[in-house]
Amino acid sequence: MTSVRMRTLLFVIVFVCLVAAGGGAPAVAAEPENHDPIEPFNRAMFWFNEQVDGYVLEPAAKGWRWIMPNRVQRSVSNFFQNLRFPIVTVNDLLQAKLRKSATDVGRFAVNTTVGVLGFFDPASDWGLDQNNEDFGQTLGFWGLPPGPYLVLPFFGPSDPRDAVGLAVDSFSTVYPFFVAIEYTIGARAVDVVNGRAQVIDQIRDIKEASVDYYTAVRNAYRQRRKVLVNDGAEMSEQEQEDLYNVEPNGGEK
Amino acid sequence: MSRNRLRRTSSRWLATAFALGIAAMPCRGVGAADSPRGTVQETADAVVAVLADKSLSTPQRRQKVEDIVYAHFDFETLSRLVLARNWKDLSPTQQQEFVSEFKQHLSMTYGKNVETYNNEKAVVTGDREEARGDWTVKTKIVRPGAEDILVDYRLRKEGNDWRMIDVIIEGVSLVANFRSQFQDIITKDGAARLITLLREKNAKGESLKAPGTGT
Repeated sequence: MTSVRMRTLLFVIVFVCLVAAGGGAPAVAAEPENHDPIEPFNRAMFWFNEQVDGYVLEPAAKGWRWIMPNRVQRSVSNFFQNLRFPIVTVNDLLQAKLRKSATDVGRFAVNTTVGVLGFFDPASDWGLDQNNEDFGQTLGFWGLPPGPYLVLPFFGPSDPRDAVGLAVDSFSTVYPFFVAIEYTIGARAVDVVNGRAQVIDQIRDIKEASVDYYTAVRNAYRQRRKVLVNDGAEMSEQEQEDLYNVEPNGGEK
Repeated sequence: MSRNRLRRTSSRWLATAFALGIAAMPCRGVGAADSPRGTVQETADAVVAVLADKSLSTPQRRQKVEDIVYAHFDFETLSRLVLARNWKDLSPTQQQEFVSEFKQHLSMTYGKNVETYNNEKAVVTGDREEARGDWTVKTKIVRPGAEDILVDYRLRKEGNDWRMIDVIIEGVSLVANFRSQFQDIITKDGAARLITLLREKNAKGESLKAPGTGT
């Protein structure tokens, strides 16, 4: 199993390097939100993912939502969220966020015990709020730009930095280490379907609200990751000027 | 579990609001809506009150929500920001058309949420002054049995009123998002095509009323 993951990781890294090289622009400080030099490839991947979602994932998620009471869905979310504890904590530490790492260790301890193996989330009620960290964010935190937009098959919107992050993080999830592969795959399926079920309405709304769904998702992904990397810091003066000046003239862009 | 969190949050908010009220009293003898924070809180409260009113039919609720939102959003500024440098390439007629179609598009797509209201509450969590005298008011939508959603509003003063010019959901700015979509379409097919596209999309969905022109 480990060698399979090793090979997958290698594949991802090689693939990502190729994309980053193909996309040119090495080490640009601030990536424009729509930097997408391999758009035709990305659109094809996006279309492919849409087919998978439309024919397999969304129907499964709808069925799941129909069968499972909300409380169960919530508990399943909590359970898998709790299993992300090593990813979040390792990346808190890699970004020298000691307080956050303490919170996440505390969350894991509380939710695994009082929260019955993570099915409940008493930690949030005690003020131990969930942090959102991953290796892609860690790389961003230390100044690595995301690189060009990249749509991965099955995993969806990404960029070279986050694709490496995804591969690295897959090493620090809890369950693969002590559970047989069949169960891991089963658990992963439940995680994915349950996760998709939580956003059925939101995704439908975004599709309806967008004039160009591909561009809308690309832009939302880039904005969202940027905010996660800088932990919701305020926009710079220049960014505000670009976004909120009703009379844009010469200066910017 | 979520009820606990809700109680905690609302009591914390009440304390903040109380402190803020005290702090605001001596220096400004003005109503809540004269501040950006007050405007957002008032708008959110009004919307939630309508949504929670079971005596209204869905179309009535939608109409009322639309009226409240229209009164507090500046759709002309929103449209100009979304079109950015392309705005001045449009003829005045096209500009009016765009504002009206975009307004209707937003109203239709987001107005649908009225039907799926599930006891969510909007809580103001902070505010700060921004460049060009704008204000950002931070809120979160507290959902029973689901994670909170962070929503920031950017407001700009027009005359005596504060009006919303952007909504930032979990860090994703509506203005930036639509700008990127529209930029692509305008570059490829021109502004006229974009207006037609919006009109077609609006015609397909059911809307409540013909949109007003301008703001």
